[in-house]
Amino acid sequence: MRRLEIMALVATMVAGSGAAVLAQGPAGGPPPPPPYQTRAQMPPGDRVAAGRNGAALFSNRCGVCHLAGGMGTNLLTKQRLAAGFAPDSALLANRTDLTRGYVKAVVRNGKMAMPRLSRVEVTDAELDAIARYLGKAGE
Amino acid sequence: MQLTLPPRVSPVRFQAALNAFEKVVGKSWVLASDEDREAYSDIYAPGSADEWPASAAIAPGSVDEIQAIVRLANEHKVPLWPVSRGKNLGYGSAAPRMPGTAVLDLGRLQKILELDPKLAYCVVEPGVSFFDLYEHIQREQAPLWMSVPGNAWGSVLGNALEHGLGYTPYGQHARNLCGLEVVLPDGELMRTGMGAMKDNPSWHLFPMSYGPDWTHMFTQSNLGIVSKAGVWLQPAPETSLQLTWNIPEEGDIGWVVDTITPLKLAGVIEQNVFIPSWLGKIVLLGQRKDFWDKESAMPEWRVQELLKEHKLGYWQVQIRFYGDEGLNKARADVVKAAFKRHLDAPPREDWWRQGDPVNMFDPTMGVPTAVPLQMSDWVGGRGAHMGFSPVVPATGAHVVGQLKRSRAIIAAHDVDFYASFTIAGRFATNINMLMYDRDNTAQVANMRKLFDALIAETALAGYGEYRTHLGWMDKVNDTYNFNGAAQRRLNETVKDAIDPNGIIAPGKQGVWPAAYRGASKGGRA
Repeated sequence: MRRLEIMALVATMVAGSGAAVLAQGPAGGPPPPPPYQTRAQMPPGDRVAAGRNGAALFSNRCGVCHLAGGMGTNLLTKQRLAAGFAPDSALLANRTDLTRGYVKAVVRNGKMAMPRLSRVEVTDAELDAIARYLGKAGE
Repeated sequence: MQLTLPPRVSPVRFQAALNAFEKVVGKSWVLASDEDREAYSDIYAPGSADEWPASAAIAPGSVDEIQAIVRLANEHKVPLWPVSRGKNLGYGSAAPRMPGTAVLDLGRLQKILELDPKLAYCVVEPGVSFFDLYEHIQREQAPLWMSVPGNAWGSVLGNALEHGLGYTPYGQHARNLCGLEVVLPDGELMRTGMGAMKDNPSWHLFPMSYGPDWTHMFTQSNLGIVSKAGVWLQPAPETSLQLTWNIPEEGDIGWVVDTITPLKLAGVIEQNVFIPSWLGKIVLLGQRKDFWDKESAMPEWRVQELLKEHKLGYWQVQIRFYGDEGLNKARADVVKAAFKRHLDAPPREDWWRQGDPVNMFDPTMGVPTAVPLQMSDWVGGRGAHMGFSPVVPATGAHVVGQLKRSRAIIAAHDVDFYASFTIAGRFATNINMLMYDRDNTAQVANMRKLFDALIAETALAGYGEYRTHLGWMDKVNDTYNFNGAAQRRLNETVKDAIDPNGIIAPGKQGVWPAAYRGASKGGRA
């Protein structure tokens, strides 16, 4: 996809108003951005014990950036489009090519704009559950 | 990240301290591996994060545990660097000022203890993020709005305690704090304001106390650890109207400020008005190389081309009104008439009414977002930013003077100019965003020189920063120089009196306890 088309798509996603964010275009400009994506509530239970719901943990712990319209999703959209993939593959929950080990490595080591997360933000038990949920390609 | 011990603490004594901490919080919440230390390093460090290494992190799960850890830290002489969620991005993230300080991570304390829709306030613990509070308000269907900063990934309390700003009528976040609970450096628990009286229902409503009120003693401070606090919220408005002007010329900022400030002081404009320069809008459209493929700063002709291409003015002014529709219309008419005296083009008008969708990227609507952090991608690689943040009087003359000065210094260092002014009352904060690739050594070295020059020359002109990165905390403190740095000397006197072991956040904001004053050279950028 050509650079300008990618930029137009990303502009659509980040179009908004207010601090440090793009201005809404004039009438007939880019469509409005997606509505606020409410995260799942933190699943109850001991944060350092196994057995909590991986999908809910992913939404609660990673959702600030990795739900629709989030910073991580927006940056990944650019990368995925540039690499010839469909834009919905920017949502990690849609990926089928992630391994559990890779998910854990990125969370603990960070990658490009993504900072590493501490074991207070995501405990090892929570990361196991999240990696099982996202790591559809296996170990 | 390898272990850096606190000053004068042997490996054996350090291990004994960690063992003692484990007995309080449990093994899972004392984090002391190399990987853990990395996780508490400055993710936007200008250069190596090893300049500000934590020795470990301890994560208490209750106020009692904070008190117990503080007492043990005194006993073992292991200093603590309290963080709410550790997202002080651009200012050091979770990393401590003094190498070897242990991070006290309050991120587990995530309870929203009260949400009062009638008197519009909440009581929260330090680990509550803007997203947590926003979603709680939505779930409760409480008719309340919050004020959010540009990056809302962090903690509601942490941001307010660091003097963060938002863009609604409740945008001066430290002013929203009412009634703190604080663990003092000896482990004692105290409450500020009316909370000094047991079970007083006005604790989070009356912003003073009987006698001196100590609330702001604990903001940007190392005199205690805030374990919970009341935060005032905005009653949800029935309608909202936003006016948007593209302001063509750089020099127009003078009349813009002189137009907005009197209206703000008179209460016609209630919000903090954020005015970003053009680059604030371009950074989210792509990477720098998409717009300018040379290392050197983008030249003025290219800037003008881009403004034309994207139909942007040099500045963008957006003013939002909140509340009754008739009042909003009347206020907007006053503001439009004031702008018309300088600019013929009418503003774009966007109405919002209750029930309409809310733009998830709009901080002026109190919706938390982390999307502005996307700007870190502008330079590519491990992109990062620091903010140079002086405060100036909210007049055109002061703002234009500050603009010209910082623009000239930034140009002399061959760096792109990206600034904003936020008019928050009688003052404006000027954030100069400096973006760099952490792995580009030459670029980082240039940024550090630039930061030094900005502090020195801005102070010479008489202005100070309201907040700064770890590496420059002492340098900025040095610029607060009235009467031989009388403010710092008072801070040190109080610090030594209530924290004789210097256990809480040594060096924060350039305030050093006697116990570590000799260590103040380490970690200076």
